[in-house]
Amino acid sequence: MGGFLARRFLQAVSVVFSVTTLTFVLIHMAPGDPIMVALQSPNITEPVRAQWRASFGLDRPLGEQYLRWMASIARGDLGFSFSLRRPVHDVFADALPRTLVLTGLALVLAFAIGIIVGVLQAERPGGSRDRGLGRVLLVLYSVPDFWLALLALVLFAYRFPVLPAGGMVDPVMHDYLTFSGRVADRLRHLVLPVATLALLTAAGIARYQRAALLDVVHADWMRTAVAKGLSWRVALRRHALRNALLPVITLASLSLPALAAGAVFVERVFSWPGMGNVTVTAIAARDSPLVTAGVLLISTVVAVGSLMADVGVALADPRIRVAS
Amino acid sequence: MPHPLRVSGLTAVLSMLVLALAACTDRTAQPTASAGAGDEGGTIVISTAADAGSLLPTLVTSITDREVTDLLFDRLAEIGYSLNTVGDKDFSPQLAERWEWASDSMSIVFHINPKARWHDGAPVRASDVRYSFGLIRDSTVGSPIASLVSNVDSVSVRDSLTAVVWYKHHVPEQFYDFVYQVVVVPEHILSNTPGAQLKSADVTRRGIGSGQFRLAKWEPGVRLELVADTANYRGRPKVDRILFLVSPDYNAAATRFFSGEADVLEGLRADLIPKMATDTTRRVIRFPSLNYSYLRFNAVDPTAPSRPHPIFGDRAVRRALSMAIDRRAMLRNVFDTIGHLAYGPFPTASSLADSTLSQLPYDTMQARALLNGAGWRVGPDGIRVKNGRRLEFALATPSSSAIRHQYAVLIQDALRRVGAAVRIDESDFPSFTAGQLARTHDAEMGSYNPDPSVSALRQSWATAGIGGDGQNYGSYSNPVVDALIDSAMTSFDAARTEDFAHRAFNRIIQDAPAVWLYENPSMAGVARRIHTTRIRADGYWSGLADWFIPAAERTARDRLGLRPTP
Repeated sequence: MGGFLARRFLQAVSVVFSVTTLTFVLIHMAPGDPIMVALQSPNITEPVRAQWRASFGLDRPLGEQYLRWMASIARGDLGFSFSLRRPVHDVFADALPRTLVLTGLALVLAFAIGIIVGVLQAERPGGSRDRGLGRVLLVLYSVPDFWLALLALVLFAYRFPVLPAGGMVDPVMHDYLTFSGRVADRLRHLVLPVATLALLTAAGIARYQRAALLDVVHADWMRTAVAKGLSWRVALRRHALRNALLPVITLASLSLPALAAGAVFVERVFSWPGMGNVTVTAIAARDSPLVTAGVLLISTVVAVGSLMADVGVALADPRIRVAS
Repeated sequence: MPHPLRVSGLTAVLSMLVLALAACTDRTAQPTASAGAGDEGGTIVISTAADAGSLLPTLVTSITDREVTDLLFDRLAEIGYSLNTVGDKDFSPQLAERWEWASDSMSIVFHINPKARWHDGAPVRASDVRYSFGLIRDSTVGSPIASLVSNVDSVSVRDSLTAVVWYKHHVPEQFYDFVYQVVVVPEHILSNTPGAQLKSADVTRRGIGSGQFRLAKWEPGVRLELVADTANYRGRPKVDRILFLVSPDYNAAATRFFSGEADVLEGLRADLIPKMATDTTRRVIRFPSLNYSYLRFNAVDPTAPSRPHPIFGDRAVRRALSMAIDRRAMLRNVFDTIGHLAYGPFPTASSLADSTLSQLPYDTMQARALLNGAGWRVGPDGIRVKNGRRLEFALATPSSSAIRHQYAVLIQDALRRVGAAVRIDESDFPSFTAGQLARTHDAEMGSYNPDPSVSALRQSWATAGIGGDGQNYGSYSNPVVDALIDSAMTSFDAARTEDFAHRAFNRIIQDAPAVWLYENPSMAGVARRIHTTRIRADGYWSGLADWFIPAAERTARDRLGLRPTP
């Protein structure tokens, strides 16, 4: 188990290193000068732009910029965002918790919905419930994330204005509300983005869960359980579900990149000031310290998530431990 | 106070006529009512696409930076609605309660209003004026406006409330050059931070100014809250609070506006106008702007800048292509009834604008004849050819602008009809600007938002603007135009300045270095309960301190009052 963990850890580190290095190179190779983007006014002279480039170290050769960046990362310094004029660390300290709240809640909700729907479908495969839910899942799985987010926004914030249109809290009144009022305000603002993200992710999970359950329902132990007097539904939920959870645990790690990508669109549409919004704005501004550090952070989260899923699967299934 | 410019009787009459005409064509949003007693209070929530980056006017780089800093900080004097940059007659006192010109016009003495205070309570002093100018000139600061004050030699302090600005040359816009560009910042707050560190210093985010609003709270990327400075030397603003809500996605910003979460939607898109027509709680306000957009031809070969462009180097071809474009039909197609045609290399809100100048006609017959005359013959596929080269070029357009993309498609279709093939080359904004700077575009869908000064014309359409820091991305050059622009910039007679500028405009239009397409209609959606005032073309926020919400029309958030933000 120790060797297995060490190998997976090294793989995770190499993935993070490769992704961030590639991002660093790509963002610098992309056409367009970040200082020109920031200083577009016709009255700005080239010496002023040169001064800004020098201030942020953008006048150095690419290799030197990369080494300096690596050195500062090693010191725990993520650099300075020249588009937001703030230390990257401060930007992330604000944005990351917001994204974690959004994606964390969405992930939990997605798995809850996905597993429940998968079980409901697998209870009577081919039945009307299975077919009906299957169609809904297919639609949810197929629609682009931004489209669903926009639809939810227009429906529930504009046509039937029962939920807020965006942000994390009421921008004006929140600070003046009572404690319970503030909690309710936060929850109301979470509903649309979390539900959108959760539904998109749940669609895939439910399909996996249904397939995994159908794979195990014909096993001998299921027949034995039913023969000993358990109802089909109880046997499915008590015995088959446990055995069918392994692929879904693996899916959890695979969901993380998709969840991170989905969060970008959902944050954008719901004006959720998290990592997705920050990263998109940074890319448009060619803000290399912010983009690269953002990718470093997201790839680390994904790699750690993947590692944890591998460990989880290994703990849940002794055969994997033995094989490794 | 008045500047000793000689104004003849005839000039005065002409100027009045011009002003009267300008007033007739003014599209400025008019006041919806006058604020009365008891109309102080309320909250205005503005839905904006981008957050501010710096709250130090010396280092503003974006429109949001400027919008916020203009509300937080004051200048010595404020430009008038006419945006007349010559002399000082259209400026009104702000931090300077009065000023006097030296007899040789090489210096101006500004008397600071003794009641003026910074938001931390410290008095505004003449040394702040000197410090503000020094900060802009400090090369380690890298102020984006450094080049705009190059005619100012120095600022000296006569006493704590008297600053003297010394100039290198006596020029018509010398008053504007200083008071419009140099926003006065607090020395006692900033002087402890070395210039080189200002760009990344926290102190630039504190926003301690002398304006009618002060910074209450800033959650980066989320919201920025300004509250009324009730003890301000110019009086308190009408509303209690202005809140900027950041929504990077336009649809999200619009939904926040239409759901009532925001009161003002900046940059209202034309497709939302019909929705507003039947809206009983929101309305559209239109105001002048200094923006104009064009299709610009590159006069030189992007691969060999010493040679003329194989297509656009020929004036006749440029004129022919211009004549093949029905600008009015395109305007109607893209903007329906709300668009404004661009008449030349100037925005119509400029004090020098002239929409009566002779334009190249839309005439495809003449366009074909000109192309035939220039040796471009129709080939087998309908595209013209000359010496083996097809009349085909790339039209660069930024993907960030849906309007420019629409225009590019329409232009592609229009030019195909006269035998020119256009490839639309769409790229993201940084790549587009990189191409502009490198002058690698054959043709581009450009947009320009100059400041009110005549000198902006020189940067973008005169030979001086070719290469380096210039904005003459098409490398258009005509010595006669150069001379006319220089004359306009140096004339102290307003009528002559206008005459020189109009002659320069006329030359440029006839040379067709570009096709002037449209002025982006500047519109905002505003909640009906908010009563606006007249709006200046260089920024809709210039009159925000006078916007008001009558007591009878207030909502719950308007009634919060000025309780301290928790």
